[in-house]
Parts: sequence; structure tokens; C-alpha cells
Amino acid sequence: MIADVKSAIQSKDLLLAWTSRNIRARYQQSALGWLWAVIQPAAQTVIFTFIFTMFVPIDTGDVPYGVFSYVAMVPWAFLASSLNDMSGSIVANMSLVTKIYFRREALPIASMLARFMDFGIAAALLVPLLLYFQIPIYPAGLLFIPVILAIQVMLILGLGLATAAANVFYRDVQSLLALGIQLWFYASPIIYPVTMVPEKLRPFYFLNPMAGILEAYRDVLLNGRLPGLYLLPSMVVSFIVFIVGYWFFKRVEYLFADIV
Amino acid sequence: MSFNLENGQSLALIGPNGAGKSTILKILARITRPTLGETEINGQLSALIELGAGFHPDLTGRENIFLNGTILGLSRKEIERRFDEIVDFSEIERFIDTPVKRYSSGMTVRLGFAVASCIEPEILLVDEVLAVGDASFQQKCLRRIHDLIQKGTSIIFVSHNLYLVQAACNTALYLQSGRVKQYGPVKEVIDLYEQDLHQERAQKFEGFESRGSQEGADKLEITQVDVISANEPLATVFPSDQPAQIRIYYNAYRPLGKVHVSAFIIRSDGLICCMMRTKLDNFEVHVDHGTGVVSLSLEPLQLVGGTYFAEAWFLDESDSMALTSKSGRSDWFTVKGSAFSYEDTSGVFTPSTRWTHDPDLNGRGTVRIS
Repeated sequence: MIADVKSAIQSKDLLLAWTSRNIRARYQQSALGWLWAVIQPAAQTVIFTFIFTMFVPIDTGDVPYGVFSYVAMVPWAFLASSLNDMSGSIVANMSLVTKIYFRREALPIASMLARFMDFGIAAALLVPLLLYFQIPIYPAGLLFIPVILAIQVMLILGLGLATAAANVFYRDVQSLLALGIQLWFYASPIIYPVTMVPEKLRPFYFLNPMAGILEAYRDVLLNGRLPGLYLLPSMVVSFIVFIVGYWFFKRVEYLFADIV
Repeated sequence: MSFNLENGQSLALIGPNGAGKSTILKILARITRPTLGETEINGQLSALIELGAGFHPDLTGRENIFLNGTILGLSRKEIERRFDEIVDFSEIERFIDTPVKRYSSGMTVRLGFAVASCIEPEILLVDEVLAVGDASFQQKCLRRIHDLIQKGTSIIFVSHNLYLVQAACNTALYLQSGRVKQYGPVKEVIDLYEQDLHQERAQKFEGFESRGSQEGADKLEITQVDVISANEPLATVFPSDQPAQIRIYYNAYRPLGKVHVSAFIIRSDGLICCMMRTKLDNFEVHVDHGTGVVSLSLEPLQLVGGTYFAEAWFLDESDSMALTSKSGRSDWFTVKGSAFSYEDTSGVFTPSTRWTHDPDLNGRGTVRIS
């Protein structure tokens, strides 16, 4: 596996070329282009802000509801769009896979990297947002962001690689995944705070790795404190998902070309 | 099966569809794994399997060169170094910043070959890719492949075009249903394969014919078709620039009156090179009961070097209904071209030519619009 990772690094040019292909192709005939990276999570945030301040008010403390949900919506959009693209990435390039040998994981990983750019653009909007609502910046917390991001990327890679491979054998995987992501959205603290989850259920609640990840983003960006122990299960689960997903992908990849 | 390929050798895989040619390439290219057995590959391997696979239609030629190059295993730096060479070879300089979706299919294929062949790998797999593109492009690709062989690249070539195979390779492996039928010098192997193809075709014809004759449709039978040299009746090799004659022997079972005869010359890969018809030449043939011979002279033969056979049909007065359910076929005959080796010629025939050169044009042949 170490040799695999090494050779993966060597094919970074392929990864970069494929990532830029995905990005360029996506914005090629689009009038708004990269603005879509912001529009998508922002629109959802606006809708939920409307519902949860006007009709069913939710208490989000000192933080306005819009900022509260946008902070989680952006990383969530990164996960959801990445998984969506990754799961279809091998199937969409079957003509290549059956004819040329190259490192197959480049396809799903590049799909994620292309969405990572969207994530960066959407996250940049947080800066004016936090300044406007005068939310105090917590420097030690900002240092923690790469750690949280790394956990999230492991989770995305594991799930994305596994679904990309499984989708070659059964196309149901992609549809199933879309459904799963919808349900997962409500099982994660995006539009509501963790405090609304009954105390007794919380240990189970945090087994959902996205719960810990999103809560950690909120803690360091909005609440001015470091993530608590609740991040530990996320870390462990994400790591296991990554190892299993990658292992599964490598184990079945040689079968891709035989399945048409 | 088992075979070895040494450095700088070129091997052709030939055989009918489903024989396992492409599977071998896929195994060698590491796209799939063999169910049993082993392969050992020493050296960097590259596959020219589908040209332009991986091109994104919305991206420009330039972007696609980098994308395709990295898929084939080049680093960005290596592509940058060879960029001009690739563009040169593909002849699409003016359109390099145009999205590939606006390219003609010829341009796309040229660009694909240019990227794939600039790699200079130690082992190159080529699968049927040269079937696309025009003749001059094929020649260019062949030259490129020859260059690579000269530089020590080993090549494994899969094609149904036996002419390309012969031009590109020195050894060949004839596969049939996953087994090696013959392995050796390219000429010998191709000859055997062609014989088999011919036999198979003949068998198919026979099955077809036996049905036809049951209906009693045959009023006439072509008993023999000969191709002979007009100067040396016993020759079996025909110089391209000498006259030749096709003789069609028949046996008519009843008087048929006015009939038409057509004859074809067919190259060993199935290409119909020419068609000659009494109707078009306004030549009248009246057939009575009994035997006879219709002769057709080709002055000169004009075909380029290669292996051919002639085929003849008798048709009714309207030139539309065949009088024979079975065409007459000659044996194979060989044409010797005027070029030293047959690789120096391409095309189908060598017309009688007369070159002139006028260095002082004096405005003749120009067009002026005012």
C-alpha cells in the first residue's frame, strides 16, 4: 500500500490534468461559471433561514441563523457534490478504462479535487459574512481547520472510491447514494444545532462522522473554542472508511475493463 | 500459448475476430488480468489502442494534448518538451486553441496519434488504430512506427489490414480461437492466414451454391478462369507494366443468345480493384449451346505489386440477372510492381504516366479575378 501511495504521488500530473479538465469542462458553456459554487449552498441557506427564522424559529445563540447554517452547508455541499461526481467517474470514462492503463483512482480523486475548488470559493464567502455579523475570530481555532478538513477528505475519499468502484458493477449504487445523501443531510447538524439532539442519543449521533466534522467547523469558526472529544469518533470512522474504501477499490479495479 | 518478443522486434497478431488478439493486448497493457498464466514485461510500455480516447470535446486541442499525454503516462514537463513536435505531426497548428468538438474526425485522429506516438516507449502496442485516417496519414504513421522500431522499440501490432501488417512487422503470430496456429516470419504466416481465409470463403460459397443449383437455375457454367501473361503464357508472376489476359471458359447447356460478361480483379484482402463489363465496353457476346471462351486483355495490367484473383460472371441480356449461380474464379496470381519492394508502393494501380515540367509558367494556369 505504501508503494501504491508513492506511485499515486508520481502520477500527480495526471491528477492535476484531470482535475483541471473537470473544472474547465464544467464551466465551459456556463454563463455564471464558478459563481455556481456559491449559489448552490447560498440558495439552500437562504431557504432554510427563511423557514427557521420566520415559521419554526430555532435558537442558534448569538449567531444569526444564516451564518450558522452556511458554515455547515458549505462543507456539506463539498461532500455531497464530491460523492455524486466520484461515484459516476469510472463509469463515465469507461471507454478510457477499457482501453488504456493508467491509475484508475485518478478519476474519482480528480472529481473530488475539482469540487474542492468549489468548496474553496464558497468558503471564501464566509470571510465577509463573519466580518459583517461581527463574529469574533479565534486564531487557535483556525489552525484546527486543516485537521477537520483532513478528516472530512478521508471520509469523502473512502466513500467516493468505494462507490465509484461498486457503481461499475451495479448502477444502482449511484441512485442509492443520492438517496442516502438526502437522508444523511437530515441526520447531520446542518440546519439545526447539535443541542437539539436529545442528550441520551448524542453518543450514537456522533457516530455519524459528519456530525463531529460539522460541529467542529462551527466550534472553531463561530463559537470560539476548540473541537471537543466528539471529534474522536469522526476521526476513527473516517479513517476506517478511507482504508476500507481504498482497499476495496484496489481489489476490484482490475475487473473494470472486463465489465462493459 | 506462449511467445517471446525481443528488443526492437515487431510482432503482428493476426487471426479472425474473437481469436483473442485484443485480449492479449489488454493483458499486456495491464488493463485486464489473465485467468491463467503469466506475462513478463521489461521496459516502459505504451498502448496506441484508441486514438483520441480521453479527449474532452469542450476542451481545446492544447488542453487535450496535456490531458491525453498524462493519461498515457507522460509528465507535464515531458509534454511541454514535445509539444511543438506533437503539433507539427498532427498538422493542426491553426486550430490548437479551438475546442476539439469542432475538429473533423481526421484532425482528431491525427492529434491522437501524435500524442500517443511521441512517447517513444520501449514497448508499443498498436491496435487497429491505423484503420482510420486517409492513406497519406497511414503512411506517415507507418514511417513513425518504423522510426520507433529503428530506435529499439518493440512493437506488437494488431490489424485486419494485412498490407499494413506486412509493412510494419517482421514476425507474426496467427491466432485461432485463443491458440497459436502459426508463429514465424510475417510473410509465411500471412500466406497461411490468407489461404485459410480463402478456403473459408470458398466453403461459404459452396453452401450457397448447392442451394442455388437445386433450383435448376443454371443455364451456363463457368468451367475455368485463367489469368495469363500475354507475352509468356506460362508465367505465374505478372509484371505490372506488361499486358495480361483474363480468359473465361464456359459451358452453356442451351442456346442463350445475347449475354453479358463481367469480370473483377480482387486483391487478397478482399478489395475489388476493378470491374470490367462487356455492357460498358459495348462488346456483344452471343452464346450458343456448348463450350467457348471469352477473353479480356488488360494492356498493360497496371496493378501494383501484390496477390490477386479474378472473378467472372455471366449475366442475361438486360445485364441484371446472373445466369450462373456460381462465379468463376481464377487461381491466385502475383503481380510484381516496378518499385523495388512492395513497401515502396501504395494505392491500387499504376497508371501509364507521362511527367512534364515547365519551370517558366508565365502566368499560365493562374486565375485572376477583378
